[in-house]
Amino acid sequence: MRAFRIVIAGHGTFPAALLGTAELICGPIADIAAVGLAPTDSPDRYAEDLRTAIGRDHVPGRAGLRVLVLSDLLGGTPFNVASAIARRSPRIVCLAGVNLAMAVEAALADGDLDDALVEHLLEVGRSGIVETERHRARRAS
Amino acid sequence: MSLCLVRIDDRLIHGQVVAVWLRALGAQRIVIVDDASARDEFLREVLTLAAPQGVPVEVHDVASGAVRCIELATTPEPVIVLARSPRTILALRQAGVPIEVVDVGGMGGGPGRKRLHKTISISPDELRELRELEQLGTRVEIQIVADDRPIPFRSLDSGN
Repeated sequence: MRAFRIVIAGHGTFPAALLGTAELICGPIADIAAVGLAPTDSPDRYAEDLRTAIGRDHVPGRAGLRVLVLSDLLGGTPFNVASAIARRSPRIVCLAGVNLAMAVEAALADGDLDDALVEHLLEVGRSGIVETERHRARRAS
Repeated sequence: MSLCLVRIDDRLIHGQVVAVWLRALGAQRIVIVDDASARDEFLREVLTLAAPQGVPVEVHDVASGAVRCIELATTPEPVIVLARSPRTILALRQAGVPIEVVDVGGMGGGPGRKRLHKTISISPDELRELRELEQLGTRVEIQIVADDRPIPFRSLDSGN
């Protein structure tokens, strides 16, 4: 069983759509939230929403629960706000450039959010980005 | 002149800047002029994290930012200059930074702020500062993303 929470952070309806689509692939996902940035949201307002989704530092019985934030665009407001929160709290890990493969892999992960899992998720995200002809040539060689 | 975009944006670096403006202008460096960010090591680091690899981010206070912008304006390297408020751009202009056009790209709403255009809102002080910039010969334009047609501030300023 996964021992950490996932929060998808991104622009507009991307987080909700990514979550819905991931659930289409792997069924209902537990302990996951999607937080979209509306065009009218200020960064402060978005930070509040994100903090609520991440959860407080010390929930009774789940002290120090780790949280993986999957954000959409490096340098975008969702990433900027999430990385600022993550820099101040070692229990939060923030990735950028999330794709469907990464989201599914994270949702189905087992155990703790450790360095090995973070590396694995980054690799899954990158290795799923191909162009068919180049991919075919590489597979054949 | 290589200050290819001088932009007022209260979010400084964000999606529109990294995904649209950097690419549209082929800019290779981001210079942020913001006293509060320059003083705060944590904010400086978060701003640096926000830029794609290969695009250095410099964070200056107004004094060192003015010196740096004057220097960069003479080099061929395309640079984006970002500030949170008209006041900072006015200070740069008064310190001798050659700013032909300033882009008003992001100023959010709030108490005491009046809507100027779409998502751009403005306080009475900022209105005065933008007018002063125009008097100093800097054109003020509203352009949120690179594909938008720039709208002259003058055409939106009722003068009240």
